[in-house]
Formats: sequence, structure tokens, C-alpha cells
Amino acid sequence: MTSKKVILSGSFGVGKTSLFNKFIHNKFSDKYLTTIGVKVNKKVINVDGTELPLLIWDIAGEVSQNKVPNSYFLGASSVIYVFDLTRPQTYKNLQTDLDYLKDLLPGGVIKVVGNKKDLMTPEAIEEVKASLPLPVDIVTSAKTGENVEELFQQLGRDLISV
Amino acid sequence: MENTRTKTAKSEEALLEELRDILLREDRQSLSEVEAYITNPERFSKRVLPIIEEQLEFFKKHFPDEYRKVVDRQIEARLSTFKDDMIGHLSPVMGKMIRKYVAHQFQILKEKIDNTVKSTFTFNSVKRKVKSTFSGVDERELLLVELDNTVIEEAYVIQRDSGLLLGKASREETLDQDVIAGMLTAIKAFVEDAFKRESEDLEMIQYGTYKIFIQDYHSYYIAIALQGSLSASEKEKIMTLSLNFAERELRTLNKFTEETIKHISSKLHKYFIQKK
Repeated sequence: MTSKKVILSGSFGVGKTSLFNKFIHNKFSDKYLTTIGVKVNKKVINVDGTELPLLIWDIAGEVSQNKVPNSYFLGASSVIYVFDLTRPQTYKNLQTDLDYLKDLLPGGVIKVVGNKKDLMTPEAIEEVKASLPLPVDIVTSAKTGENVEELFQQLGRDLISV
Repeated sequence: MENTRTKTAKSEEALLEELRDILLREDRQSLSEVEAYITNPERFSKRVLPIIEEQLEFFKKHFPDEYRKVVDRQIEARLSTFKDDMIGHLSPVMGKMIRKYVAHQFQILKEKIDNTVKSTFTFNSVKRKVKSTFSGVDERELLLVELDNTVIEEAYVIQRDSGLLLGKASREETLDQDVIAGMLTAIKAFVEDAFKRESEDLEMIQYGTYKIFIQDYHSYYIAIALQGSLSASEKEKIMTLSLNFAERELRTLNKFTEETIKHISSKLHKYFIQKK
């Protein structure tokens, strides 16, 4: 199967690079280094026996998605929209951002991910989810690695079925 | 008395009418004939159609002569109105092409002058002449061998929008080439977006003696990584090679599958890696 371009997007400091590093290198660092421009890496995942190469673009965080250069999204098959479960300002534009991304990538797979699960109680996570205008696809922790692999497996399945 | 006057007036009127009849007889006859033509459409068209056809024929034959001046004036007026718009649209493209061409030709000229000055009386030049005399090999061929110190290390065809690799060829195994293609595209997008230079593309990335030449096409771009110093004429050769490759191998490809990627890769190897 040919490679698929996947964009990791969302506000700054939500843990996009941490998810990227955990998924690609199985590493996590507490040190916060802001992403400048883009970092691209590749991982081949196995989805129900099918090898699927994912080209993942970890892009610099922006408060609003319309501030991200459109050229980064060109030719992408999917966007993983990450927000920080502990910071409401990172998901207050969820609806607007998702509408914008859907316009930009009609027919593309968009995953909504709440990260930093390890810093919240299950009840608090449910509260956040209930307050959102859209369903969250998965909650993850880049620190513990919880649901990181599952996120990309879900994404792979969606990409193959499209 | 009154009766006599009335009788005289009546006879004058009759005489006048008779006179009118004599004088206007022919005119009245013509008028009634014309009326008969006009009121009968069949007769009228029979008479008029040949005239119209004749005029149309004349119009067809003489239109350019008769109306050229009018049309020319109209076109001139329209062009003058839209002149600014046309210049606005064309000038960036033309300017870019002219600037590139002039700069490039100046670079080639400068190098030629430098090389001529440097090599005429140098030790290498004398050595080359002696070698040529004794070996029988043309001096120009020896010069080409001396210049041929650049090596194409890698060549890629990359989808312009997504950055996905459409073909690859390299002298040695390097980093994951999919990642290189992605990062090159990201850098290109970043630079082109950051400096917002319309109709300008990133054409080269250089560090030390390592250079990556980028040539953009409609839906893809070709990136050629090479090692060594490179003159303008050598750069020109590589760009021409890239153009030839695009023209011969990529023009008809509009769908990229695993098979086409393999095909492009093998062609890339043939064109860029085996040649050197």
C-alpha cells in the first residue's frame, strides 16, 4: 500500500511532538521544546495484516487552525487534532477548528484526541468530554503511552476503509 | 350673374384636372406599379432579394477593407483599457524568466572569462597541453575529465502537495528516503510560505559542498542531491537532464501506484546515478 500523509495538529503545548516521539521512537521527555516549522517521520503499521506506511507531519502548534499554513495540509489523508484535556483554551475552538479542517480536507479522516490523560481522573475526563460540542475519538497519554498505539491503529483502519 | 361665375369656375376646375391628368399620367402609373410591388410580398421579395444578396456578397468580399480601421480602433481602445491588467498578470512571470535567464547567462560568461584567464598560462594548462600532445587525446576531453568532479548522490521525484515519494534512486543507502522527501517538502512549504514570494520556488538547498537542486513541475518536483563544486554550465546540464527526464518519463503518468513508483525509481537510477 502507498504511504499516507498524516498531520498532527492542535494548539501549542498539547503534546503533539510527545505523541509523535512516543509513537515513532517509543520515547517520552518532560522537557518542553516548541516545534519550529515541521518535523516529518515515518512508521509502517500493520493493520489487520496490511502494511500501511504513515508519513507523519508534526507541525508547530497554533492557537487556531486557520493560522497553520495551508500548504502543510495539501495532499494529506488525515489530520489528528490534539488538545490538552487539562487546558480548556486548547479545546475552546474545537468546533471552528474542525469545521475549518473538514473544509480543507473534504473526505479526509479527522481524529479528535484528548491528550495528557495521566493528569486527569476518569470523572474529570468524562466532564470535559461532556462539555465538548463534538465527540472525542480517543483520550491518550504520551507520557505513559496509553492508547497511543490504539490511536494509530484506529486511524490505519479508517484510512484503509476510505 | 352669380350663376355665370359659378359655371366659369367649374369649367376652370375641369380644365385643370385634365391638365393634371396629362402631366402626371406617367408618374401616377409608376406609383401604382410601385404600390402593386410593395403590397404583394412575393413580387416584392423577388425584386429585392437579388439586391440584398448582391450587397451581402459585396460585404463578405470587402469587410476587411471597409471595417478593419473601425475594428482596429476598437481593439486599440480595449487594449489600452486593459493594458495595466495584462501587464500586472504577465510581468511577474516574464520578469522572473528574464531575470533568471540574464543572471544565468552572466554567471556562465563570468565563469568562462575566469577560466580562460586562469588556465591560459598556468602549470596545469601547460601540463594538459603536454599530456595531450604525447597521448594524442584532445585537450578539451582532458579538460572535461578535470571538471567532472561532481557526483549525483541521490535523485527523487516527489509529489508536490503531499511530499510523498514517487520515485527514488541513490548511490548509497541513506536515511529513510520517504522521510527525506517529506522533510524537503516541509522545508519548501515553510520557506515559500514564510517569505511569501509569489511565483517563486525554492530552487536549491546547500550545505558545504552538498547541494540539493529542486525543479518544480505541475504536480511533482524533482530533487537532485549532489556532492562537489558545480559550475553554472554543469548546473545547466543537470537541469536539462531533469527536464528531459520529466518530459520523457513522467509526462504520461497521472496516477501513481506502487508499480509506477518502481518504474520511476528504476528510470531515475538510469538517468542520474548510472550516468556519472
